[in-house]
Amino acid sequence: MGTYAAASARILDSALKAGADYADVQFWAMRSEDLYVRNGDVRDASDTRSLGYGVRALVDGSWGFYGSDRLSDADFDRAAASATAIARSGAEVAGRVRAVTPAGSIVARWETPYRIDPETVSLGRRAAYLLDVEKSLHVAKNVVAAFALMQFSTTRKEFYSTTGSAIEQTIRQAGGYCGATAVGRDRDPQTRTTPDLFNQGGGYEVIERANMAALAPETGREAVILADAPRLPPGTTDLILSSNVLSLQMHESIGHPLELDRALGWEANFSGISWVRPSDAGHVRYGSDLLTIYADNAMPLGLATVGYDDEAVKPQRVPLIERGILRAFLSSRDTAAQTGLPQTASTHAQDWASIPMVRISNIALEPHDGTLASIVAETKEGIVVDGMTSWSIDDHRLNFQFGPQIAYAVKNGKRGRIYKQPTYTGVTPHFWGSMDRVGGHADYVVLGTTNCGKGEPEQNGHTTHACSVARFRNVKVGVKTDA
Amino acid sequence: MHEDDRALTLAHAALTAAAGADQAQANVTISDASYARFAQNYVTQNLESQQTTLSLTYYIGKKSGSVTTADTSAEGIARLVAQAKAIAQRVPPDNRFVSLPAPQPYASPVRSYFAATAEASPADRIAHVLPVFARMKASNITCSGYTTTQTTTMAVANSLGLAAAYTGTSAGMQVKAMAAATSGYAESYALDYATIDPVAVAERAASKATVSATPADLVPGRYTVVMEPSAFQAAVKALIEGLDAGDVLDDQDSWMIGRIGTPLFSPNFTLRSDWSNPLLGNAPFDLSDGTPLTRFAFVDRGVPAAYSVSTYMGHKFGKPVTGVANSMIVDPGTKSREELIASVERGVLISRTWYERVVNPRDASITGITRDGVYLIENGKLTRALKNFRYFVSMIDMMKDVEFSNRAVLAEPEDDLGYSCVVPDAKFANFNLAAQTSYA
Repeated sequence: MGTYAAASARILDSALKAGADYADVQFWAMRSEDLYVRNGDVRDASDTRSLGYGVRALVDGSWGFYGSDRLSDADFDRAAASATAIARSGAEVAGRVRAVTPAGSIVARWETPYRIDPETVSLGRRAAYLLDVEKSLHVAKNVVAAFALMQFSTTRKEFYSTTGSAIEQTIRQAGGYCGATAVGRDRDPQTRTTPDLFNQGGGYEVIERANMAALAPETGREAVILADAPRLPPGTTDLILSSNVLSLQMHESIGHPLELDRALGWEANFSGISWVRPSDAGHVRYGSDLLTIYADNAMPLGLATVGYDDEAVKPQRVPLIERGILRAFLSSRDTAAQTGLPQTASTHAQDWASIPMVRISNIALEPHDGTLASIVAETKEGIVVDGMTSWSIDDHRLNFQFGPQIAYAVKNGKRGRIYKQPTYTGVTPHFWGSMDRVGGHADYVVLGTTNCGKGEPEQNGHTTHACSVARFRNVKVGVKTDA
Repeated sequence: MHEDDRALTLAHAALTAAAGADQAQANVTISDASYARFAQNYVTQNLESQQTTLSLTYYIGKKSGSVTTADTSAEGIARLVAQAKAIAQRVPPDNRFVSLPAPQPYASPVRSYFAATAEASPADRIAHVLPVFARMKASNITCSGYTTTQTTTMAVANSLGLAAAYTGTSAGMQVKAMAAATSGYAESYALDYATIDPVAVAERAASKATVSATPADLVPGRYTVVMEPSAFQAAVKALIEGLDAGDVLDDQDSWMIGRIGTPLFSPNFTLRSDWSNPLLGNAPFDLSDGTPLTRFAFVDRGVPAAYSVSTYMGHKFGKPVTGVANSMIVDPGTKSREELIASVERGVLISRTWYERVVNPRDASITGITRDGVYLIENGKLTRALKNFRYFVSMIDMMKDVEFSNRAVLAEPEDDLGYSCVVPDAKFANFNLAAQTSYA
């Protein structure tokens, strides 16, 4: 029996009395800790806690949602009645597609595995670590700014439904990275960071895995080199993406276009639509034969890894793209029912105040063989890029331009000079179709972001993209504003 | 106002409980936000949420700890103070911290609260979207978008006696009309929901979507470009980033460095911080710490002139504190939008952009993609819809040859950067449309 079972029973009963055909409620007790060091000072040491609940009510195939942090019985009744009234207002619209009524009763508990409870690492020790890391980024006088940060979050959820489901989950996540900004002769500041997507499910061991102390001095040195490095000249060449850049490339040009609500047009006004449609599943070529992508919301270390998603669907490993052919999409109960495509347990809300919706969740690129070093060694001419400064992709998720932090020239299998502000551009299926090498397990990492924006009002999603490294042939690089 | 009082009472309760601190600051936010979101001519997400947060920053000398909670009971506030104090006791000092701001007088606020927004019901919002759906069905097209009503109260108080509170409403409607091969977009934002005309918004979006049945190709290159306010406010963000002392002095990462006082842009371009603009209904103080906001020009008739200075940065660098700007205003020009378009012999009208990113902060270069309405202008008239473009320009270069329409509108009620914008249409010379997409 969870902490909020009685309150939830009252809310669900009130919703049914108000006329809901179905209702569920999810209580979230959230805590996030942030520690941020910049230029030698602790700029932020904060601990944010929130407790509230979101009620979903279904009336005649129309959903209503009401989120509240007010915890009296009268507030519970008001929230249930409001969610039902909102649902009823939407049912006034003619010609709508009716939502499916969830069925089944699930009683379960789940918790993110972790090794080191962050509570066992004192705030003083965490701050001392970040201050040391930040100091070691200052490798030269022209490093004008540096930072280091770590963050932890714990969310305890209780989900109850009018069909008898009662699910308790505790989700733990952590992340951290650091970076330095150096200014060169032309006063054009350049920033180099450790992987900024180093966020994983787990405890303090995630911070240890991020390895900031070891990576910081070289990160600072590369910022200094970048400060006086030339810009990457324009051209067409072979492009090797580090796991960090490949992770974001997957996010933008595979994860988002495969959100099924987007493919159905539900996101058209804000984050856009998709170049692939539900009817493309099974036959449209998305990339080369090396491209196999799974949705896996049970993946160890994933930010979207749960026992059940926010509409009580259990995750399973679902192939989205197999050997380059589109197979499925990231889905919710409603979008899966509407299209006949599989459920992937990809419905997540940002917090108790936000309506659950389809999110990228966890996706993984199947590794093959080789390492970053061996792929460089077999490349006659090209560049390796790492870190990310800017990224932009259109609202069909086709035409993109990415701006990594650094490019290393490759000539006859060897790394050469460093270029600042490299850019590369492409079109999604052509780009993934040009992928001719995918690295193996040695470079395979699980990277995630906690600020994937989607929806109106905009919600931050926690998504993971697991991958190794990859090479793409004949990519347009070094695009300029005066081209 | 009732909510102002409630928020200040909560803030003072936290400060009273934190009486042992050398200094302390409490922030309260009370929000109520409702959205009816639609696609394919029906409502897909329909929601409301209400939320109260109380934050306390507890100072022991130069050491501080910040904790935020939703639990505003007496026990919750006691826990909040204990947790913030515990953090402050454990972290190293921030040696640059001097003091929280002392109490200061505030200018009279502009009207920011409208009952028609605060009291809008789910049925009111549905009543707003039904005529939009009807307009789309009349042209056999579909639409997506939203209508929203929001009320927010924010209060800040500190142990030196500073206390300030603000309640404001905001409302908006976005409509993207979608025909078989083209789309059109219109938006309207206001403080007062009663002034948003859904029929007019729908008509504008639908008529733009049906200018042409199929979008035409246009060879990528440099063109005269007219951007409607929605598109221009996204582009000018590249210059708005970097207008703070934290960027200019602390991180040395701003396009302004070395350029203040030297003519850089067209004399048509003036960018102001002005909380008193009545379209915005913003507070006369910095909501983060209660500092009174100064009204000033970041760019004055083409000359970079000043940047905003927070209390922290003011103490660190010995600069007068302006508060962190919450209102970005680009001064309008003299021509109407129609006259701007009429002055273009051959060019492109851009309604809206997407996924705009700063590529290089130093030259304020940006890339993004057009969406939901790109049109060819020939001899001063819109002649056909075009496929979309990726653009890649330096906004420093673009603002050297720019003209503005005479009507500035609320183009961004709020964003995650913490400010809102009032901007006109803008006309640029030699705008780099770098690549064309295969669709509209």
